[in-house]
Amino acid sequence: MHWLYLIIAVLFEISVAIAAGKSEGFKNVKWTVITLVSGVIATIFLSLALLTFDVGVGYSMWTSLAGVGIVILGAVFLNQRLNFGKVTGIAIVISGVIGLRLSGAA
Amino acid sequence: MSNAQTRHLPDSDTGNKRAWGALLVAGVFEVGYALSVGGSQAFTVLTWSISAIVFFLLTLYFLSVALKTIDVGIGYAVWAGIGSIGAAVFGAILLNQSLTLYQSFWLAVIIAGVICLKLADSAKLTRPDP
Repeated sequence: MHWLYLIIAVLFEISVAIAAGKSEGFKNVKWTVITLVSGVIATIFLSLALLTFDVGVGYSMWTSLAGVGIVILGAVFLNQRLNFGKVTGIAIVISGVIGLRLSGAA
Repeated sequence: MSNAQTRHLPDSDTGNKRAWGALLVAGVFEVGYALSVGGSQAFTVLTWSISAIVFFLLTLYFLSVALKTIDVGIGYAVWAGIGSIGAAVFGAILLNQSLTLYQSFWLAVIIAGVICLKLADSAKLTRPDP
């Protein structure tokens, strides 16, 4: 169940990252509201995931998987090209998460 | 501050410094946020829950200020990098959680991956417009 909580938290964190960038220092009302609402939902699910994961482990997986998600969404929906660096970064992040999982930390 | 778009001009040094300062402050607040969320036991402990909310608002505010000037890919990588390292180190110190050598290694791998990912993402975004 904690993995499901983490994945939901990751999805809303992706929304936070995109909306925060568009909110222009919280001056744009619509994007500010989207940022805050997404952030609240992401935080609630992160806190549920952190009941099981240690903070360092759970938090790192949360932000890094959100970063991976942003790039993948950009490639799928915004037609942004996946270059060598992005694919390498995604592979490194995912190996790190698998490593944590195999080492028993996650 | 003029409202002209000064991102690519040499005279935007002061704005850049302020933006990076805001980003570092956001990173520190992000560590506070991560630890508070972890300590809140799914928001059942009042004090940790309140500090989580306060840090949440502070970190987002400073991040959004920083991202007005700094590219979102680089900004997010630095912010999350500070947050990840801080959460692991202070989680071990303040919340008595384990931080083994193996864990540290794989956390470092994840952070390296995020930096690689974000720098690759930004290379395209910062290319001057034709």
